[in-house]
Formats: sequence, structure tokens, C-alpha cells
Amino acid sequence: MEEEPMSVVFQVGANGVGLLDPGSETNNVEKGAKVDLPFWLAHDLYLRQATSINVPACFNQKTRKEIQADAACVDLRMRCPYFYELGCKTVPLVGDKSIGSFLLQAFSSRYKEVLSKSHSTPTTTASKFLPRLTKEETQLFEAAQSSMASFKKWRVGGSRLEKASILGKKRKTTLPIDPPSP
Amino acid sequence: MASGSEPWSSGVAEEDALIGETTDVELLKRAWRNEKAAPEILQFQAALVLRAREQIQLLEGTVEEFVGNGVDDLAVSLYQMDLDRTQFLLRSYLRLRLQKIEKYMIHISKTNLWNRLSEQEQNFAKRCTDIMEKHLEQSVLSRLPFGYQSILKQSISSEEDDMVPEPQLDTFVFCKTRGDVGAFQLDDTGDEMVDLVADDLYVLRYKSIKGLVENGQIDLV
Amino acid sequence: MYGRRASQLLGELAAAETGQLTVYNSDTFDQVIKECNEHNVQLQSLFRKMEEQNLDIQTTRNEDYFGAVIHHLSLARNKRCLMAYMYNRAETIQSLRWKIGKKLPQEIQEKLSFSEGEYFKNHSAAIDSYMSELDLDLTVDMIPPKDPYIQIRVLDDIGEVSLGDLEISLTRHSVHFLRRTDAEQFISQGLMEEFLG
Repeated sequence: MEEEPMSVVFQVGANGVGLLDPGSETNNVEKGAKVDLPFWLAHDLYLRQATSINVPACFNQKTRKEIQADAACVDLRMRCPYFYELGCKTVPLVGDKSIGSFLLQAFSSRYKEVLSKSHSTPTTTASKFLPRLTKEETQLFEAAQSSMASFKKWRVGGSRLEKASILGKKRKTTLPIDPPSP
Repeated sequence: MASGSEPWSSGVAEEDALIGETTDVELLKRAWRNEKAAPEILQFQAALVLRAREQIQLLEGTVEEFVGNGVDDLAVSLYQMDLDRTQFLLRSYLRLRLQKIEKYMIHISKTNLWNRLSEQEQNFAKRCTDIMEKHLEQSVLSRLPFGYQSILKQSISSEEDDMVPEPQLDTFVFCKTRGDVGAFQLDDTGDEMVDLVADDLYVLRYKSIKGLVENGQIDLV
Repeated sequence: MYGRRASQLLGELAAAETGQLTVYNSDTFDQVIKECNEHNVQLQSLFRKMEEQNLDIQTTRNEDYFGAVIHHLSLARNKRCLMAYMYNRAETIQSLRWKIGKKLPQEIQEKLSFSEGEYFKNHSAAIDSYMSELDLDLTVDMIPPKDPYIQIRVLDDIGEVSLGDLEISLTRHSVHFLRRTDAEQFISQGLMEEFLG
């Protein structure tokens, strides 16, 4: 999430960091230059009043309209894999308070779908739906699935002692030819 | 433990059921559940652990004696199962604490959480911290420029220790009240109030009920 | 972009399943260390330039100052990533003591750096000394018990083992009735499985 690109405008010039601005011909970034910086850098420079931050595209009016129309169908991952986290961390930087209610609305309308699909979707069709989820939503989806799996396992019973998963799943390839000795 | 000196008879088991909550096994179970659910380390239950260990020893003796005297298998295995459960609780309790120490060793050793550890746990925490510091020192810190070599701070310009992992105290926990608490304030501003009634289940932020867990008014589940 | 390589290291951690260990990436790690030192060189030279102009580093806010700030932030970011990489791996490594035991199999040893191998040994020894101070083995009873004895099948020739006061020969495919606490570690090492018949 810290690596998400943020569009910023430099309020000051900075020497010796020309790499940040592909358009710069010197090794410096000029005052007023508009560049994309990873979130961690954009954030800390903002705190030092060296940059101003533009609202990321994933929170623009177009996305908002799409979410309002059919929240569950929007491919949020493509727009930003850390949609919610980025949103929460962006609000204090851009001073657009309406992002908060937009996030909440997007989350609550998608949440129900995520949960019900995680219980009902067979793995084959999940592949269509999963790529649209943000990382946060994917975690929810997996949490719901694994809690269901644990519940089923608990109900059926069975062995609870298992080989440490880090040792790999592959067994020795030799098949038992003789019947096991008692 | 007062009953520790008495031989275990079948009558004792019945009494235990009546006393319910007050047996050491129940107390241990409660300590274990709280420790399991709390994000930070709680006060070490020194006296309780001591009693539980005495009790386990006693039970082990009883089981051995029964086997020696040819008491019937069913009775023996019932005792054995009882013993196993207590053993598990004790081991799991101690293990949970070690794992928290492993996770937050530096944070614990810098705060008054340190006083919540037993003497052995303090030794363990000290050793772990030394080992972790040595490891990070030789793999990362010693190779960084001067001014960036602290394990606690990002650089010498940081005013606080900003590199120490700390437990998330505002995580949500399931909890059950033991008695009436009454109206309880969940946050500093007093905007959120909740009426905690006896024996009711709640899902609340750990941070806000921390004090109630520590003084035993509420149990985590 | 500054810090990109460091975040690739963390990406490796994130891509692995929880509790799994990836091969220690010494190449990338060393490159990030190198980047740190390069940032520092640039940072120092910008500061020197300011000093030569008799400017106070504490108060001056010119182009050189902000360039230095960016190098400083990038260095600190790289450090955070390196530490997070090492620390997260150390956490996984120390959990192995509980999951597998004192001896790590070859396939896992190969994934560790030298310092990580040392770390595992030292950490494991710290757990041992805690357990011996207490005179209690905490590596058994990892799950709540049901039956004191379980039926198991041996998956690999283990040979003669003494369990309590019992000498037992554990040959491959043989089925035994053992105390659960005795069987537990063999099962987590993949040498036995619970046999539900």
C-alpha cells in the first residue's frame, strides 16, 4: 500500500533527486513540477509542506457514479488494490471529507456480496469474481471461507494432529506394495 | 491449595462441580482464555500456576498408584483424561505468553508490562531480545550508514522510538461480563456509553475494556 | 523509483502463504543496502554544499535541503523495508521451533541466511532454557486433548525409540497405539500420521 502512486505537485524545488521527475533534464526537480511519487514519500513530503497532493483517480466522480450504480460489479482492484486503506490515509492529505462516506458506502454495499459469495461460490466460478476485489476484500473473502472450512472440519471430526504445513505437502513417492504390517 | 494435601477420592470430583468457578482448573481456564484473546500480555498468574502444577503432580501420583493397584481401566483413563486436560491448559497458557513475548519483546521490556512477567519469562525475554538484536545488527544495521543504525529508531532525527512493534490495543474482542458493571464509557470523549449487564456477551474494543479485564470484572472469550 | 527494490523484498514475503518461508534473497537485499549507502552519499554531499555556503541546516529550506530530505526519507524507507523483511522472517523462523522442533530439515536450512541459521539455534536454546528452568516441556500438547492414546501409522523407518519406560520399534507402515504426547512431534515432523482406521 505504501507504494501506491500519488500524483503530487512540488511546492519547492529539490536538488539531486532528478530521478523522481522523468520530465526533468537536470538532476533536479523544479518547483511546480507534477510527478507521481509512492505514497510513503508523497506523505512525508506533504507533512514538510514540500508537496501538495491531488486526489487519486480511484476516488473521482466517475468511480463514485459507477459504485452508486452497481457497487459489486466494479473492478476496484484494477483501480487500486488497497482502495480502502489508501482512501483512509488520503483524506487528511487532500482535505476532501466526502471520500470517507464514499468508502463506507462502497464497502457496505460490496461486503454482503463478498460474504455470501464466499460461502456459496464453487472455486471454478470464484475466479471470475475474485479479481475484482481489493486486497482488503480478498482477505475478508478468504477469512469467511476458512472459517466455514474449519467449522465443517470440526463438525465432521477427524484428525487434528497434522504435519507442519511448512514441510511441504508432497509425500514420499514410493507406494506401499505390501499391505501394512500390523 | 488447601485440598492438595487430601487424597483424591471420587467425592472430590462432585464437590468440584458444585464449587464450579472457584476450582483452580476453572481459574486456569479463565486465565488461559483471557490470555488467548487479549492482544497484550496480562499479569502472570504465579500462585495459580504453582497450584496447578502441584495438582498435576498429585494427579500423576494418583494415576500411577491406580495402575499399580489394578484399579479398573475406565477409572484410570478418566483420571488420565482429567490430568491431560489440566496439563494442556497449563502448557498452552505458558506457551501463549512466550509467544507474546517473542512478538513484542522490545515493547514489553521498555514499558511497565515488564512487571507482568514471571522471573523465568523475564530471563527468556532478555535472552530473546539479545538474540534478535544481534541478528538484526549483523544482518542489517551494521551495514547501514552512521545515524541509521538504531534498532529502535529509523534514524537519529527521530524523536521517539518509531521502529518497535507494539500490540494493537484497539482490536475488537469478544467478552463476557461476570457481574453488573453498569454504564460504562467506551472512549475518552464519553460519546459512546454501554450498559454492561451481568453474564452478557459483548464485542468491544480491547482498549476500552482493558481495565475491566485486568481487575477481573470481565472475561474474554 | 526510490525504494522500489526494497518493496520488492516485502512483496516476496507477502506473496508467500502465511507461515511459509521463501529463500533468503541476498542479491536484492545487498542491492538495497547499497542503495542506502548511495542515498547517504548524496545526502552528505548536499549538506556539505550547504555548509560551504554557510547555511544553517536546521533552518534553511532551499532546494538542496529538500533534496537531502528526499534522500533521507528514502534511506529511512529502505531501512524500514529491510528491517521488516528480516524481522518477519525471524518471526517465521522462531515459530518453527514450536512447529517442527530443534532440528530443521535440509530443505528449510537452505532457505536461511547464515545469521538466520544462528538466530534459530540461539532462539531455540532460549526456549529450551526457559523450559528447563520450569522443568516442563511446552512443545507437546499443542492441541486440546481428547484421548490420552491415539492410533498412529508410521510413515518412515524411525527405528528403535524409547518412549517413557517402553522400548518400541517404529518401522514403516506399522500401526501403533501410543500416548498422544509421544506421537505429537513425530506427526508434526511428517514421520507418522494419525490412523483413523
